[in-house]
Amino acid sequence: MVSAKKMPKNRIREGSRIVDVVIIVITAIICFITLYPFYYIFVQSIADPQEVIAQTAYLWPKKLYFGSYKLIMGDVKMWTAYGYTLIYVVSGTVLNLLTSVLGAYPLATKGLAFRSIVVKFVIIPMYFSGGLIPSFLLMTKLCLYNNIWAMILPGAVGIWNIILVRSYFMSIPEGLRESAYIDGAGHLRILFSIFLPLSKPILAVIAIYTIVGIWNSWFNAMIYLPDSSLHPLQFYLYRVMIQQSVNLADMQGGMAAVEDQIQRMLENYQLKYALIIFTSLPVIFTYPFFQKYFIKGVMLGSLKE
Amino acid sequence: MLSRTAVSQEVSKKVFWTAKRKRNLKENIILYLILSPVLIHIFIFCYIPMYGVVIAFQNYFPGSPFIAFDGSVEWVGLQHFTDFIGSIYFLRLIKNTVVLSGLQLLIGFGVPIVFALLLNEVKNVRYKKFVQTASYLPHFISMVVVASLALLMVSQDGLINQLLAMMGLSPINYSTDPKYFPWVYVITNVWSSFGWNSIIYLSTIASIDPNLYEAARMDGANRFQQAIHITLPSIRNTIIILFIFAVGGLLNANTEFILLMYNPTIYETADVIGTYVYREGILNGGFSKATAIGIFMQVINFSLLWLCNTISRKINGYSMW
Repeated sequence: MVSAKKMPKNRIREGSRIVDVVIIVITAIICFITLYPFYYIFVQSIADPQEVIAQTAYLWPKKLYFGSYKLIMGDVKMWTAYGYTLIYVVSGTVLNLLTSVLGAYPLATKGLAFRSIVVKFVIIPMYFSGGLIPSFLLMTKLCLYNNIWAMILPGAVGIWNIILVRSYFMSIPEGLRESAYIDGAGHLRILFSIFLPLSKPILAVIAIYTIVGIWNSWFNAMIYLPDSSLHPLQFYLYRVMIQQSVNLADMQGGMAAVEDQIQRMLENYQLKYALIIFTSLPVIFTYPFFQKYFIKGVMLGSLKE
Repeated sequence: MLSRTAVSQEVSKKVFWTAKRKRNLKENIILYLILSPVLIHIFIFCYIPMYGVVIAFQNYFPGSPFIAFDGSVEWVGLQHFTDFIGSIYFLRLIKNTVVLSGLQLLIGFGVPIVFALLLNEVKNVRYKKFVQTASYLPHFISMVVVASLALLMVSQDGLINQLLAMMGLSPINYSTDPKYFPWVYVITNVWSSFGWNSIIYLSTIASIDPNLYEAARMDGANRFQQAIHITLPSIRNTIIILFIFAVGGLLNANTEFILLMYNPTIYETADVIGTYVYREGILNGGFSKATAIGIFMQVINFSLLWLCNTISRKINGYSMW
């Protein structure tokens, strides 16, 4: 009796087909829910505008139409925003890497006077901050308001990054530093010729986190940059999609025949879909390759907590 | 002879120590020079704003200094705090903040755990990798795109309403009906973060000793029982720690995300402390008032975190500081 009752259980534990299939179906549904919204937007962006208005394309459009992409490619404002995003990403990442190394090295050196006090000084802002308004007022007092530096300077130092690099530096054997020291190398020399080459993995993690962080940021632009010619891509997208203060129809310009105008109205409806896809493509295509660095970052972070 | 050696030893010791101290001093100067850009940056961008919170106790107007001794600063004590607590917005803001974060915690916390347990049971390695990679995608997409996607999906003629229409139901305007906002917010949030949040559980699961499963199988445990009695207890500590800190951040409703998702017609359920601070301070120029509200939020937040940390230390022997 007992063994008869156990039989089916044993079959399950050995991996019954049914359980496997159920699990695969559930995970496939999860995958579908995660990916389909992107796919749906993609289909809308390449479908004929008539189909977009009628909302009939779900899996594949009956008629392909790439006119929206052509229009977007000709959008000067978007390309300006792209350019500024690149400026913010490159300068922000370089500064972040530099300051995390410069900050981490002295804090990882045993001979540093008042080390524990300085470490506290660096860590306290992780728990307390002045908040939005005092930071905003500070920026206006520093004349950074409506200035491209407002996007670069405040984020130039990442306290979390400093702490990550510091603990990495502390794991480098002390003997390495001492022998370099005996050979006559100074601190800068030790930092740049010995420590840096050894810490490439952690620097890669920090660089990738910073790049994606800045690429996706929009909030600072909303607060500090009223001048729309300096806006980064994500904030341009915000103005188009959420605030709806940018009329994409403007990019077509000029007068046109009536049937042209109707066609344009249809296209305008579609433009947002194309814009979403176009601005997200770089991330969608690159993130699978950088995944491992991100996962490494999560692990490092959890160890530090 | 003996005394001479002692003296010379004494002298050489002295010379050594002064040399070492000099060397130390020189070294420290160099080290502090290396460190100085970071320290100056942190001082300017973190400590000056912290000091700037004094404007919460003043009637600050743009252009005046934070502190002046010529009487140009008008100190008002706790007036901005009492005004806020007495205002009609106070209860609504607190309620919305707690409801949104609480709902997020209730639903969003369990999903990554269940997902990790499910994924752990997938045997095909390549399929598992694919599902995992797909689930991370929303995390890498910007918040602006995620919010736009969500708004497009729930709009009057969006995908969700088309589904409802297919089932013969009348369309619902989710983006202007306040009662649906918490759900739109939480579901979008969970959708964009569950895969990413499962990483930590999956890696903990990966470090479980396979012998445990072997032994359980010997005892006749099926896969479900193995998941409940081995996998789950093995990630118990991770779950507790993450839960405690999620509770600690209860008032940290995702302000940036709400700013993207809400509109004036749904302030009734969507307006939280952070968004109110943004509108009062940045848009309306009520700097002192907004700073006071910000401090109010930070104090509660920090007390919650402190409380959770203390509980965590008592229960787990684990704490953040």
